[in-house]
Amino acid sequence: MLQEYDGRVRLVFKDRPLAMHTLARPAHEAARCAGASGKYWPYHDRLFAAQPAFRRADLLVYAAELGLDRDTFARCLDERRFAADVERDIEQAQALGINSTPTFLINGQRVIGATSIEEFRSIIDKALQERP
Amino acid sequence: MTLLLALVAAVSPPRALAQVEITWSPSMVKGPSGAPVTIVEFSDYQ
Repeated sequence: MLQEYDGRVRLVFKDRPLAMHTLARPAHEAARCAGASGKYWPYHDRLFAAQPAFRRADLLVYAAELGLDRDTFARCLDERRFAADVERDIEQAQALGINSTPTFLINGQRVIGATSIEEFRSIIDKALQERP
Repeated sequence: MTLLLALVAAVSPPRALAQVEITWSPSMVKGPSGAPVTIVEFSDYQ
């Protein structure tokens, strides 16, 4: 999708682990630990491929698969180095009243739930017309 | 790394406009900073 719009669209990922998903928070923190070593998106993709195996041991295996240093990653995870960053994302989502996932803001326009590629294209095309 | 979003509050009509500052980590962005369209995805890994 981003390739299709070559340079005209960027994607920002925000952590919105739902309270009922008790394993999610460590996974969100783990992805940020991978990001600290330049592997945010590969780790992100691995997590979405893995649902819902998010025990500590699983998170360490994914890091190893991506060639991340085991000790550095484990320390980051165990110290919960990015806990406050994940919390900030959750607070921003709550301030926006975003209580279900996924929710998208396309130049501020809200799209709730996994929607069709066609609907996404139509909203993006409209946004591009407004801000070419 | 911030974006100010003006949102029309559909749920509570008396507050016509709410502004929330959205921040993000540079590692969690794909695509050029000058892109005219920004998609912010709020999601849950679990």
